[in-house]
Amino acid sequence: MTTWEGLLFGISFVTQPEVLIYCLLGVVLGTFVGVLPGIGAMAAISLLLPITYYITAEAALIMLAGVYYGAQYGGAVASILLRLPGTPQSAVTTLDGYPMAQNGRAGVALFTAMVSSFTGSMIGILVLVVLAGWLSRAATAFGAADYAAMMILGLVAASTIGSSRPAKGFAMVTLGLLLGCIGTDVNSGAQRFTFGRTEFLDGINLVALAMGLFGVAEVIANVRNPDRQGVAERIGLKRLMPSRDDLRRMAFPTLRGSALGSFFGALPGTGSTLSSFLSYSMERRLARQPERFGKGAVEGVAGPESANNSAAITAFAPTLTLGIPGDPIMALMLGALVIHGIQPGPMMLEARPEMFWGLVASFGIGNLLLLVLNLPLIGIWVSMLRIPFNYLYPAILVFLCLGVYSVRGLTFDIVAVAGIGLAGYLLAIAKFSPALLLLGFVLGPLIETNLRRAFLISRGDPMVFLERPIAAGFVIATVALLLLPLWQAWRRRGAGARQ
Amino acid sequence: MRRDWPDIFGGVILAAIGVGAALWAAMYYDIGTLRRMGPGAFPVVLGCALFVLGMVIAVPAMGRTAAAPKVEPAAAVAVLAAIVIFALCLSRLGLAGATAAAVLVATLPAPRKGWVWRVVLAAVVTVLTVLVFSVGLRMTLPVWPRLS
Repeated sequence: MTTWEGLLFGISFVTQPEVLIYCLLGVVLGTFVGVLPGIGAMAAISLLLPITYYITAEAALIMLAGVYYGAQYGGAVASILLRLPGTPQSAVTTLDGYPMAQNGRAGVALFTAMVSSFTGSMIGILVLVVLAGWLSRAATAFGAADYAAMMILGLVAASTIGSSRPAKGFAMVTLGLLLGCIGTDVNSGAQRFTFGRTEFLDGINLVALAMGLFGVAEVIANVRNPDRQGVAERIGLKRLMPSRDDLRRMAFPTLRGSALGSFFGALPGTGSTLSSFLSYSMERRLARQPERFGKGAVEGVAGPESANNSAAITAFAPTLTLGIPGDPIMALMLGALVIHGIQPGPMMLEARPEMFWGLVASFGIGNLLLLVLNLPLIGIWVSMLRIPFNYLYPAILVFLCLGVYSVRGLTFDIVAVAGIGLAGYLLAIAKFSPALLLLGFVLGPLIETNLRRAFLISRGDPMVFLERPIAAGFVIATVALLLLPLWQAWRRRGAGARQ
Repeated sequence: MRRDWPDIFGGVILAAIGVGAALWAAMYYDIGTLRRMGPGAFPVVLGCALFVLGMVIAVPAMGRTAAAPKVEPAAAVAVLAAIVIFALCLSRLGLAGATAAAVLVATLPAPRKGWVWRVVLAAVVTVLTVLVFSVGLRMTLPVWPRLS
């Protein structure tokens, strides 16, 4: 199937009414949770996971993906109007978006965010199509050692990049890997850490883990949060259209942001949050008047917004073609596919074309829907910011419990969610990243299987990780990432000694 | 400012989990050889790694101060209790009873005072839940309390 045939096939798949409805539902729901600070895409996707049992795998993935990139749009709305980032990816947008709103240019800021997000997504789609084809061809050369090395690189990158305390990140990844061991061992059939309870035979339920760590923990943290009690003011959107000067200022930052985001989105371990931060600092460095940044520069909204959206799209490339999720949200998507009995990997492009091309086409159509829907709907989103959290969270809790219950019909799982929720809340308080735990949990069984297979093939010779060029490349990159913080610390100490 | 208790406790607990998991796996599961790894090999390695990482987090934190984190014990207890109550009530009180009980407990720490809105909210959420899950998604659950 050529790219054109694939895209046409995908478009014809997505424009089926019931698929289109799930796509629409996903993007609207995504915008909703993106606008509401406190409930991120992570919590929303974990809440929706059990509901996807009732629909086909393709529709489920399209809907969950819609929630993911829809939340990026919604996050910008809350960042600009309230200086409350609805999602971590849109935190940077508060820096210049909120000052713009204070200068009476909220409409222009929102317009800029929407158009840049759209452009970023479209460029991301182009990159995804090219990259996925290339990756799935390259993946036939991948052996067990290469897979294991690449996943380890992804985990190391996720826990070191953009983190001030890498040790805490590594600890969470390791704990996640360890939790992934619970259950029946695939290779030997041995029961590990089940303590004789049949509920643990299949391991910890991914839905219960994700909902406890994100849903319950976020609800607890927000119950008494004064920012969440409906404080939104009315915002007039009379002047939505940007001036010619604004358009000129946003063009290149949007293109640069899209390129940056597309690149970092596809790398394992670096997600859209990092891309939006990098884009902001790049624009400030390139600007002729950097002093305008932080006071309402259009470039500071356009760059990061295009970067986080393009990264959100290209992040699907390694997930779908190699079966390796680059960030925790992708790990959740991978989990959703596995629940439906689909193992993403190099064969997916050929074995399930409707899945891959349908998803690609749904990105385009979903983003178009967002652009068309959201400009007129902004008033509704803004008024939603006035719903006090008092009224929302009890319903969220009940839905969460029923969602977990629906997976296996065991009340044991609901009680487990309470326990996991407590752990998640404590982790959040102590500033340990539950997202990294989840990433380790999903990747754990894959890494273990590939490591064991690699050693089996090499007859126990660890040199297999250095003799194969692909694995060696990943190992070198991993070591470089591990040495980087040490080298930086050493240089800082050296500079301090000289002074 | 005070000692960095979150990192000290967090690190020590993680280290303890690591040691526990590694010892348990080493005692009860086959380690195998590098050529043919048994089910115990991966957990033992991970447990040891977690112990080292926990110590790396906890030990430097002992000589460091940090701002006290914001904790909401009332919110945590009420939310977790609501979930457990929902689980325990589901088979006896039915979907409607469990939902109403969970909402009433969950709203206890909410900043808004008074009882009227709590009861109204419980009723609204209960109706919504029954409509979505029982009528809409056809989940097989008893809706009403069992009288016998």
